[in-house]
Amino acid sequence: MRPCFHPIECVIPEHMLESIATHGTSAQRQAALNNIRVVYQLRAERAMRASFKGLFDSAIPRAINNEKERVIYDAMRRDVLPGTVARREGDAPSSDPAVNEAYDGGGATYDLFMKEFGRNSIDNRAMRLNASVHYRTGYDNAFWDGAQMVYGDGDEDLPTDERLFNRFTIAVDIIGHELTHGVTQFEAKLVYSQQSGALNEHMSDVFGSLVKQYQLQQSASEADWIIGGGLLTENVNGIGVRSMKTPGAAYDDPVLGKDPQPAHMKDYVNTVSDNGGVHINSGIPNHAFYLAALEIGGYAWKKAGRIWYTALRDKLSENSDFQQCADLTHQTAGELFGNGSLEQQAVKNGWAGVGLTVGGDAEPKGCFEAALRFIGAT
Amino acid sequence: MEVERIKFERTGGFANMRIAADLDVRDLSDEQAVTLKELLDELDFPELPAKLTSSEPIPDEFTYTITVEAEKWQHTVITGDTPEDEKMQELLGLLNGLARKQMRKQ
Repeated sequence: MRPCFHPIECVIPEHMLESIATHGTSAQRQAALNNIRVVYQLRAERAMRASFKGLFDSAIPRAINNEKERVIYDAMRRDVLPGTVARREGDAPSSDPAVNEAYDGGGATYDLFMKEFGRNSIDNRAMRLNASVHYRTGYDNAFWDGAQMVYGDGDEDLPTDERLFNRFTIAVDIIGHELTHGVTQFEAKLVYSQQSGALNEHMSDVFGSLVKQYQLQQSASEADWIIGGGLLTENVNGIGVRSMKTPGAAYDDPVLGKDPQPAHMKDYVNTVSDNGGVHINSGIPNHAFYLAALEIGGYAWKKAGRIWYTALRDKLSENSDFQQCADLTHQTAGELFGNGSLEQQAVKNGWAGVGLTVGGDAEPKGCFEAALRFIGAT
Repeated sequence: MEVERIKFERTGGFANMRIAADLDVRDLSDEQAVTLKELLDELDFPELPAKLTSSEPIPDEFTYTITVEAEKWQHTVITGDTPEDEKMQELLGLLNGLARKQMRKQ
């Protein structure tokens, strides 16, 4: 497959959608019109949020003492959020392991961001960390809904020998992953589609893995760089859902299939599924981060993590693509550690290891075909 | 509503494990087939917009693609995990269960 170097705005510029809607086949026209509709709905939503920013902002629940404040809810296997309060900040541990895992994992994530990066919670203004466990039955997922974390119990509704997933609070990096979606929402606001979406996923995997490494006090060479370790049951042939060290090698199973992540731009996957492969192509920047952190050595959150956090906070924007992320992390490394420093060289080498040259040609190629593919018209 | 086949796919989610099934309605139990047809009727499925996801995607949310085939028509709908319509939620729950069952048999 040919690599696609497009941010979303390039993939579907309005004039191209208009051209497809005017000259395309009936199916292409319909797809283009649907896309135009979605783009305008998004714009209206953003405009409303911008106009009433103060109101939306004041509705965010924040810690009273400007410190860490967690509230874990039990959704009681229903789909109504947040559910019933199960443990508040400072409460003794619950008898429910999922409640404690959500509490401890939220705390570990808060601590990494606060102590290492000086960030006070998701919004940097002491946003309360709300999480709900036991969401629905047989719910094999965890997600950030824009205001809180939500965790399912896996496929606990199936007989033991058929279960594929354990509860989603079981791995601390999943908790760090979900909370980082919140951080991204307040900072770079990476659009959850195509390359910017894969970067959104990438940032969540990076800081999810760093929370685990921080908790275990592991150096880059000691860490396993697995996302979701312990999540898959013993019925599955796999060690986790993603590997930053070896993307594509986390699992290979008769029921789940094989880990589809590429580790290099030459294997970039063009797809309309999964919001344009956001959980697939994230393997590429994930591996670049791993390579950079390994070359720098020591605790990965100290230098590589600081570079990535600073880039996420100050440099990346809604439609950033992989090339821009490579250039901006390289630039950030220079600002933090000096131009030509070992750290900056390691970042450059990390990106080179996945096929991206820092300062390289980001000129879009094959834009029209990519646009047709993106809107599902081919 | 007389339908023949239903193709169902779930993508995305934190683990991004794809669930997909191609269901022949004749292979379902009578009870399942009746429930399915009632839900499709109540949703007026052929008239639903192709995309029910209107707001910004939620990180790690599942995306579902449902294609219903009848003798004279077929229609595909893409939706997120938390559609407002309770009937759509019921349909997703039913198809999810049937798909997981079919995948385990293979």
